[in-house]
Amino acid sequence: MSIFTAEHRRLVQMLHPTKHQEYSDVLSSLGSFMDEEILPISPKLDSGEEPIGGPRNALFAQGMSLVSFPAEYGGLGLPFSVYAMAVELLGTADASVALSVEIHNAVAEGVLRFGSESQRERYLGPMISGRKLASFALTEPASGSDAGNMATTAEKHAGEYVINGSKMFITNAGEADVYLVFAKTSKGPSCFLLESPNPGLKFGAELKKLGMRGSKTREVIFSDCRVPEENLVGVEGEGADYAKEVLHGARIVVAALNVGIAQLAYGKALAYARQRRAFGRAIADFQLIREKVADTKIGINAGRLLYLYASRIKESGGDYSSEASQAKVYATEMSLKACDDAIQIHGGYGYTTDDLHRHWRDARLLTIGEGTSEVLRMLISRRELARAA
Amino acid sequence: MSGEVWVYSESETVASEVATAAEDVAKGASAQLRVVDISSVRPATRGSGTRLLLKGPPGPDVSPAVAAEALARAARELAPMAVLLGATRDGREAASRLAAKLGVGCMAEVAGLASDGQGMTGQRDVFAGKVVAKVRCQFPAVATVKVGAYPRAVAQPADAQEKDVGPIQDQTKTLGREKKPAGSVDLRSAKVIVSAGRGVKKKEDLAILAELATAMRGALGCSRPLSSDLGWLPEEHHIGLTGVTVKPDLYLAVGISGQLQHVAGMKDSKIVASINTDKDAPIFQASDYGIVGDLYQVVPALRRALAARR
Amino acid sequence: MRIAVCVKHAVDEAELKIDPGGNPLLAGAAGKMSTFDKNAVEEGLRLKAAHQGEVVVFTVGGAESKKTLKEALAMGADRGVLVASDPMALDALRTATMLVAAMKKSGAFDVVICSEGASDTYTGEVPPMVGELLGVPYVGYARKIVVEGKAARIERSLEDSVESVEAPVPFATSVVSEINEPRYPTLIQIMQASKKPIDELSGEETAPAGSRRWVEVLSMSSQPTARKHVMIDGSPDEAAAKLLDALSKEGVLK
Repeated sequence: MSIFTAEHRRLVQMLHPTKHQEYSDVLSSLGSFMDEEILPISPKLDSGEEPIGGPRNALFAQGMSLVSFPAEYGGLGLPFSVYAMAVELLGTADASVALSVEIHNAVAEGVLRFGSESQRERYLGPMISGRKLASFALTEPASGSDAGNMATTAEKHAGEYVINGSKMFITNAGEADVYLVFAKTSKGPSCFLLESPNPGLKFGAELKKLGMRGSKTREVIFSDCRVPEENLVGVEGEGADYAKEVLHGARIVVAALNVGIAQLAYGKALAYARQRRAFGRAIADFQLIREKVADTKIGINAGRLLYLYASRIKESGGDYSSEASQAKVYATEMSLKACDDAIQIHGGYGYTTDDLHRHWRDARLLTIGEGTSEVLRMLISRRELARAA
Repeated sequence: MSGEVWVYSESETVASEVATAAEDVAKGASAQLRVVDISSVRPATRGSGTRLLLKGPPGPDVSPAVAAEALARAARELAPMAVLLGATRDGREAASRLAAKLGVGCMAEVAGLASDGQGMTGQRDVFAGKVVAKVRCQFPAVATVKVGAYPRAVAQPADAQEKDVGPIQDQTKTLGREKKPAGSVDLRSAKVIVSAGRGVKKKEDLAILAELATAMRGALGCSRPLSSDLGWLPEEHHIGLTGVTVKPDLYLAVGISGQLQHVAGMKDSKIVASINTDKDAPIFQASDYGIVGDLYQVVPALRRALAARR
Repeated sequence: MRIAVCVKHAVDEAELKIDPGGNPLLAGAAGKMSTFDKNAVEEGLRLKAAHQGEVVVFTVGGAESKKTLKEALAMGADRGVLVASDPMALDALRTATMLVAAMKKSGAFDVVICSEGASDTYTGEVPPMVGELLGVPYVGYARKIVVEGKAARIERSLEDSVESVEAPVPFATSVVSEINEPRYPTLIQIMQASKKPIDELSGEETAPAGSRRWVEVLSMSSQPTARKHVMIDGSPDEAAAKLLDALSKEGVLK
């Protein structure tokens, strides 16, 4: 079975009637690459036997990060919906690699949108070609989505900013070459491009996570960490807005990633239900199993349509923040349920097999990371209530 | 067209197998069987009927290009209804060239040969062994016979007729031939085969499988990645569509996922047992007995259990 | 150096569905570039890298075959030629006749590369037939090809031996999969491939003599898989003991 399915192809055709052949070629090629090079080693990424660097670099070399960036920086200039679908495929192949790549790309998108021309020239090309790995450093030990409450500071000193404080739960930390760091200056939360290594930049021990174990997550610690003035991104004091913008796009992609995880768990559960027999027949013949099959299928399709809907609004230049949040809330919760059902269908094997419960463990992150379901429901409802008023 | 079915293979043993297959064709077509030798008579090639010696090309080794030309020259004159070769690599090449020279059809790697008098039919595996196709070709026709599908003929062919086909120049020059470093046992004749796949983490670990194979009095085989991609074992150990086809009494697949291309090379085994960590691995669909588990635990356990029984 | 590579848009055997009656559902079956043809394209690209020139990919088949040509173009081939023909009405000699006719229309080639056999039908007959019909020396089952000047040294991988052969240029060859590791086209190459030219020729016009099929397929049916599918559980030691018991009962344990 191929990761890029006939269903994906049909959706691409519906979304992009004049260009679907080209886009499908790109996605189908990426899918075959993942089928052969990423999916088979995915269990070893989870168990730690295989480091993430190899498959991630191989994907960069394929052009995974070029998809939605403009041609003038070496990108492919394809629509965001095509990129989001590429991340869905990667979520199926390996959720940890997808997470690492998705965050890396979100930083690149931040540089594209808010960086100066010289910053784009210096960082964007190397990032999207995969020569420089990026990391997004916003969350702190005591603040998450409430970016305004951050404690990390940046003080201006003789042509430099001096950063002090720390960031928590940072994906790609310790491995990345560039960090998009958010720190408070006298004018408020601001955004900086920080290159590693830097004498003032240190990392905590690798965090022992429930899932997404292939990706590295650490605390990032700044002690008198000096950044040249020209590495301030955009306008000083507007960093919180930039963070929000970057996260809106990332939420679409995280939704796609979770649809990918659900798709894989669903495929395994379906195969097992057809093959496993109880009371003289396949368990797929029992109605309660069938309910799970139907519900998961509905969920996967709904999640996919939601992230594609948000993608299309983003492509057309509209305000997609609520739809991105809707897609993320729905797809992450759906995915968790799908992986849970897959374990249930597998019974004892589900609970005791790494290669099954790892999907649940992976999916479990993203009702929390990059905006909790609770915070996102607040955002969604706030807009709805404002519209009704 | 004369009422003859010709048999040729560069390998004496394969030629004797092809001769057995040719009997079925000759019977259906009421034809005479002729065992063909090129350059000199090889007493080890057997078959009922008579022997035909094509003289002209120098021997003793005859390249497929030269064999095809010699057979073509003789066939143009003597017009056999069918020429059957062995489906070895050289045999496939010689047969294809012969068919192209004569402008006739060529059935590849067939078994179950028969003739309805006007043409011949045979069966061959397609789609990596998922499907069997029944194919037919009108006489005159060429075919290659699947190696190992027929027993060797034992009868000594009667009196050799000689036919001078004239000198034949090879367009290429053979610089040398080296035996591939083969395993201690020939996989085709092994009764037990322990076969290794990608589940083996490093080359050194093959030793535990080799030991298990020895303990089971069998031979060590592998799937394509281990020989072709990783080079951990010589190509002769590679069992599958493009490697060796085997049919042992017991085939034990260890850490092999069971891609169709691999299964195509072992599906005729009497009993298949497999060990794989992935319970969804397709190898279990092709197995009589399956153990979901880590080969690094199960293989040592098998060795212990074997030792306890002996 | 002008290099011709022959490829096939093969049935994807892993995706092939079988109906309950055991008949393969070939109409509309998913296709892909024949697995080993990737090695043939790769070898063509390697020769081009070493000797300059161009790589032209040839195929015979239906409109779907363009996908396989595009894949070869994405890998780095320069242009493609499709000889349009009903793939269900082909046999090896007919295919080879059409390929050779199309090659002759495209000018002389120094090297013609095929793979040892198609991953779906695996007759391995087309490559030697192409060599024969082109009238050039042919060396099959190559696992190494080195071209120097007007001669090539080729290692042939046979069942139990490796043969070193010298062939004059031009020559035709078939490669085995151990010869190289085919590259994956990058996304940029995929997008560029759609701009590379594909010539479409009519099979009947290209090779009027190739209109005949010699070998016909009478029927196809799926292999019965009469395996027992017994899964053995327990600790490694328990499972090992149970397996040996079962194998002893089968009489296959010596």
